[in-house]
Amino acid sequence: MRGAFCWAILLPCATVATAAPRTLGFVITTWNIAAYETRFADECPLGLNPGYDELWWRGLSKPDRAKFTDNGLKSRLERYFVAIRRGPNGEDVCMNPTSVKDPPLMLVEGEKSYGMDLDGKDGVATGKSCPHQEFTGLDGTPGVDNQLYRLLGCVYGFRSYGQFEANENENRKSNGKGMTLIEVTGVDDVRNDPDVRVTIYRAVDQYTLDGSGRFLPYGSYRIDVADGKPRYSSTLRGKIVDGVLTTEPGDVNLPFYGNYTYMNRFLRDLRFRIKLADDAASAEGMAAGYLGVDQLMFYVGGLGPIQSSAPANCPSIHVAAYEVADGHPDPKTGRCTTLSSAYNFKAVAAFIVHGESQRYADGWFDRVRRFISDLRASN
Amino acid sequence: MTFLIPKAVSRRSVLRGAIGGTTVGVALPFLDAFLNDNGTALAATGAPLPLRFGTWYWGLGHTPGHAITPKTRTSAGIDFLEECKALKPHEQYLNYFGGFNMPLDGRSNYTHFSGWVASRTGSAPSSNSEIPAPTLDLLVADQIAKNTRFQTLDVTAAGIARENYSARSTNSRAAAEASPEKLYQRIFGFEFADPNKADFKPDTRMVVRKSVLSGIGEERRTLFRKLGSSDRARLDEYFTSIRQLENQLDVQLQKPAPNQACAIPVSPRRDGPEQNMPQGLEVDTVIANHRMMAQMVAMAVACNQTKVFNVVFSDNFSHMRRPGQTYTHHLLTHEETQDKELGYQPVAFWFNCRTMEGLATFIDAFKNIREGSGTLLDNMLVFAATETNYARVHSLDGVPVFTIGRAGGRIKTGLHVVGNGDPITRVGLTAMQVMGVPIDSWGTQSLRTSKTITEILA
Amino acid sequence: MHRGFASLLLSLSLLVLAACGGRAPKTSGAEPGARLLTEPQYRSIIADVFGLQITIGGTFDPLVRTNGLLTVGASLARVTPAGFEQFDRMARSIAAQVTDPAHRDYLIGCAPQDVARPDDRCAEQFLGRVGRFLFRRPLEREELATRVAEARRAAVELGGFYDGLAASLGGMLVSPSFLFVIDVVEPDPDARGSMRLDAYSKASRLSFFLWGTAPDEELLRAAAQGELHDRRGLERQAERLLAAPRMEAGLRAFFDDMMAFEDIARIEKDSIIYPAFSAAVASDAREQTLRTIMRVVLEENGDYRDIFTTRKTYVSGALGRIYHVPVDRPDGGWTPYEFPEHDPRAGIVTHVSFTALHSHAGRSSPTLRGRALRELLLCQKVPDPPGNVDFSKFNDPHSPARTARERLSVHALQPACAGCHKITDPVGLGMEHIDGAGQLRTAESGVAIDARGSLDGIEFADVGGIGPAMHDNPAAPACLVDRMYAYATARPTQRNERKYVKYLEREFARDDYRVPALLHKIAISDALYAVRPPVEPSPAFARNTP
Repeated sequence: MRGAFCWAILLPCATVATAAPRTLGFVITTWNIAAYETRFADECPLGLNPGYDELWWRGLSKPDRAKFTDNGLKSRLERYFVAIRRGPNGEDVCMNPTSVKDPPLMLVEGEKSYGMDLDGKDGVATGKSCPHQEFTGLDGTPGVDNQLYRLLGCVYGFRSYGQFEANENENRKSNGKGMTLIEVTGVDDVRNDPDVRVTIYRAVDQYTLDGSGRFLPYGSYRIDVADGKPRYSSTLRGKIVDGVLTTEPGDVNLPFYGNYTYMNRFLRDLRFRIKLADDAASAEGMAAGYLGVDQLMFYVGGLGPIQSSAPANCPSIHVAAYEVADGHPDPKTGRCTTLSSAYNFKAVAAFIVHGESQRYADGWFDRVRRFISDLRASN
Repeated sequence: MTFLIPKAVSRRSVLRGAIGGTTVGVALPFLDAFLNDNGTALAATGAPLPLRFGTWYWGLGHTPGHAITPKTRTSAGIDFLEECKALKPHEQYLNYFGGFNMPLDGRSNYTHFSGWVASRTGSAPSSNSEIPAPTLDLLVADQIAKNTRFQTLDVTAAGIARENYSARSTNSRAAAEASPEKLYQRIFGFEFADPNKADFKPDTRMVVRKSVLSGIGEERRTLFRKLGSSDRARLDEYFTSIRQLENQLDVQLQKPAPNQACAIPVSPRRDGPEQNMPQGLEVDTVIANHRMMAQMVAMAVACNQTKVFNVVFSDNFSHMRRPGQTYTHHLLTHEETQDKELGYQPVAFWFNCRTMEGLATFIDAFKNIREGSGTLLDNMLVFAATETNYARVHSLDGVPVFTIGRAGGRIKTGLHVVGNGDPITRVGLTAMQVMGVPIDSWGTQSLRTSKTITEILA
Repeated sequence: MHRGFASLLLSLSLLVLAACGGRAPKTSGAEPGARLLTEPQYRSIIADVFGLQITIGGTFDPLVRTNGLLTVGASLARVTPAGFEQFDRMARSIAAQVTDPAHRDYLIGCAPQDVARPDDRCAEQFLGRVGRFLFRRPLEREELATRVAEARRAAVELGGFYDGLAASLGGMLVSPSFLFVIDVVEPDPDARGSMRLDAYSKASRLSFFLWGTAPDEELLRAAAQGELHDRRGLERQAERLLAAPRMEAGLRAFFDDMMAFEDIARIEKDSIIYPAFSAAVASDAREQTLRTIMRVVLEENGDYRDIFTTRKTYVSGALGRIYHVPVDRPDGGWTPYEFPEHDPRAGIVTHVSFTALHSHAGRSSPTLRGRALRELLLCQKVPDPPGNVDFSKFNDPHSPARTARERLSVHALQPACAGCHKITDPVGLGMEHIDGAGQLRTAESGVAIDARGSLDGIEFADVGGIGPAMHDNPAAPACLVDRMYAYATARPTQRNERKYVKYLEREFARDDYRVPALLHKIAISDALYAVRPPVEPSPAFARNTP
């Protein structure tokens, strides 16, 4: 007769002495920049930044205003491709942020922020960082580095009521693109384990949702594979203490899709802190690391049309980004190339499907390539 | 693959239609021109306005002490309490029957089953599926509905097609229509002949169908030679059903009398596979479906498509539930804790109140249709009953019954009738007699009665 | 799915050799009957005859489950006016589809000289061919002439050959010869004074039993040539049917009926309490269980009782989220899955199709589960609840009852309840580690669940013990035999057949509980085709018959 039993791989199962190390799987459901926003935007004493449309408008003569807006009838969204080409030679200012000289970006001036202490120093320049002002964590932790928040915290489109992040999360949910899987292997005890591995994959299957569109746990997700190898598979070393999983820092390639943009989100020295729910059916966490300014600007530059309704201005962000960058100085110029950043995310338990089934995840192109290589091998 | 051809045929799924709103709009034009001066008879023929009969079923009874104040003697005036307050505006169309019993002569009380079987068939069942005699609606239909398109129209808002409380016997029980969309198609679909259309041409297709059906009737004799007696009786019912359909076609081949009370309602717009989906037992869904169905049934009656109908609001084990609650209405009646101050089970009571509001909606659907100098309700009688008095203890004594309508002036209304422990079959007997069924007694064993409730006769 | 058929045939032939073991008790069957087609049978026939692309929309009158089966209930069913109206509607819709331009060319097989006029030759060809499949016998000459005349008359009235054909076909589809499976008897030349089923009635019985549909061309041919009255001929046909891929659909139809799956598509669960439950879960749950059973009994030709203990099953994406197991193809399709040793879930009773079907919308129900297990799978009758229970004990406001066991324990104190709840609850409470949607759990309302249970003297610690208890319960295989025999004859089992059913139960055990062997034994038995002479109608009845 069985006494206690242990079933799903995701449930605590301390009673089984001989159990092999287990694997936890999660799929990230929502992901946001960890931005501390007060009700009246006190962290932005100068107010929120004007968008490119506003700057374009300010620069127009009265007759031009009438001319470009069909006597005021065109909305911002309809006139965006005129507004965005406000460079001296009609350049798209998001694609060519240096073509104009705009007012400087208003930065976050508050003292508090979410995030982690990434540099272990007090904002002093080292071989690995540039001087910057640090924040105090909401819980009083000193030395919090979050220059991405400093940069974007007063940009309307990037604030929580702006559209960019809401779109990203919604796009992922409805398209099933750029979904991130977290696999925790070598787990002997889900509450306390001094040594586990955390691997990031990209999923190829859509989210499993209930009838009301809420995320369901325990869906199965195949990982994205090319040429027999996972396309994303960064691994970090970690430990679990009282149900909180923390990792050592490492460079991680995260999949990303949102606002019509696919990209690799390559975060350097990234570390996770993940709080597992008691039943391990869900998790909430923070990831903190350095984001390349180039990557950020590639993304921001692509947001032109959306910036018309969620104001932002590429040239001002571009200039400021290099000014507040605090990580990974260029050995030649000494100029910092990355921004300290932090993200909050939520996840639900998932089965990450390896092995045989991965071949289904291959795209048409992969199949053709394999067919050709098989053909060559057989000759 | 078909037996007819050896080749495989690919399956093609048919997807059509879009989901839209699901409302039924009813327009009600009315002209007196077709009626006599008093508005009580058809001007053209002088025939009286037809009488109609219906039943309305709800599951799980009442909350005694909070529904209707008991009386000791039959008299005018019904004292509606909290649970029934929605019925107050309809008092002039209602009678309430309290204090009638259901003696089972030692047979088990098959919970939530014996009650409705006894009150509708006049006999107590001896198993949890036996329906020992035809239900009263069918006895009335045999009398008054020979020449209507539908002998009876059976619908349920509770989503469970087999829970239709109308049956001729255990194995002869029609499925109720559970989908408002399908109900609409059945009544007002392409076979519906609009009585107010100027040009009427008998549909040749119906002539052909009728001839095909009479051809099948011819098979009866050859078939019967092959069968044992019990199967002959069963097959006989099948042939009767064919004749009923032939009658229906006969009716449709006649030009319908103009009828200005009849206005085709707007279709609930949900097409394609949607209409085959479960109808849902969440209480709001039940209420919405019931409202739509009541309006359609009322218009089917006004348009002379049927003279007898059965409407189920909730089933006898009422599976209605509220989202997020682990308890259904039925489970609540047994397992919910009684509130000491209120003196009842608050959530079960809440469901009972919704149910009585449903009954009020149903009455409205008929009351809103004018006919003659009054409304449809003047020319009909509805037997509205449930299977238990108090679901918590399954009690069968004092099971509440309402009648709705004035049956063409044959009965008085606004009365609270006191049963003093008489068998509940007295209500059914009286209702059937009012509808013209030639019987002087009804029921078996202790449920047998020949005592008409004369107090309500006009 | 049919890898096992070769070995199945081999075992069948061995079986025939070994059949000399015991003698089958004689039976005299029942009076010839007329059974209404069940909904699955109706659908199968239309799909078989006209193809799956013909849609059937309509509501069938409910059947009363008799001898545990709707199929048996159909032998007692009557056709109400509303029910006939539905048959008529379906018939006209099918006939219209068959004769419409999209289908007529390949389904009708001939074309009229002029589409606007009748064409007796083509009508006769089509109606004769189709009628033979629909009526499961050739049409008599006069019968066919009537149908053709009908088509002609209608074609004239309606101004088109195809409309006429549709009218006549529609008539066939509501004819008693189609809607009722009618036993036709004839004097038995081998036994003076007694009757036997005619060859076509035998063919129908065999085909509905094994394939769940009307006889196919080959079976009708065998009937026409008298082969079914010959033992070898009957065996040949039975074995052909048993070895065909179609057999699986037939056996699925049986288990579908036995497991009472007709309502499974209608299961409604509260979406707040059980967000992972969806319509897809409900329909996949049925498929999962049928696949699991088919693997054990057909593909592996295994011991029937193993369906209660097998850890091997199949999961879909939707089911994976209920069972919390991974699936290879989350985007659709089925993944074979084997529950690990330490998992308590094994056997069909732990499947969603059983645990969720026999639960309430927002909670489990040990009583419903216990009752279903006893009634459906062990063929035991659980008495109905009494009407005069005082529920005040159940509603004690100070009662701390948070688990089903605590709630139900009160019933044990009530003598009126205790009797029945003793039959249902001990086994049902043993399944409490599975919630109302079929998901594993250890606690209810924050309280650890005591999931001990027992079934007929076998005690177990949790739902993992149900399978073995069912496997070893002698009532389980006996129940299958009873149901299978009733399903085969499609009528209530008669008193004179009881010994024979007992004999089948013994034989089933001797055959190591292999279902194909049982199917074979019944299919070629005398008992399946036995018929008593019909009782003559009473004079009163004869007078009323025109």
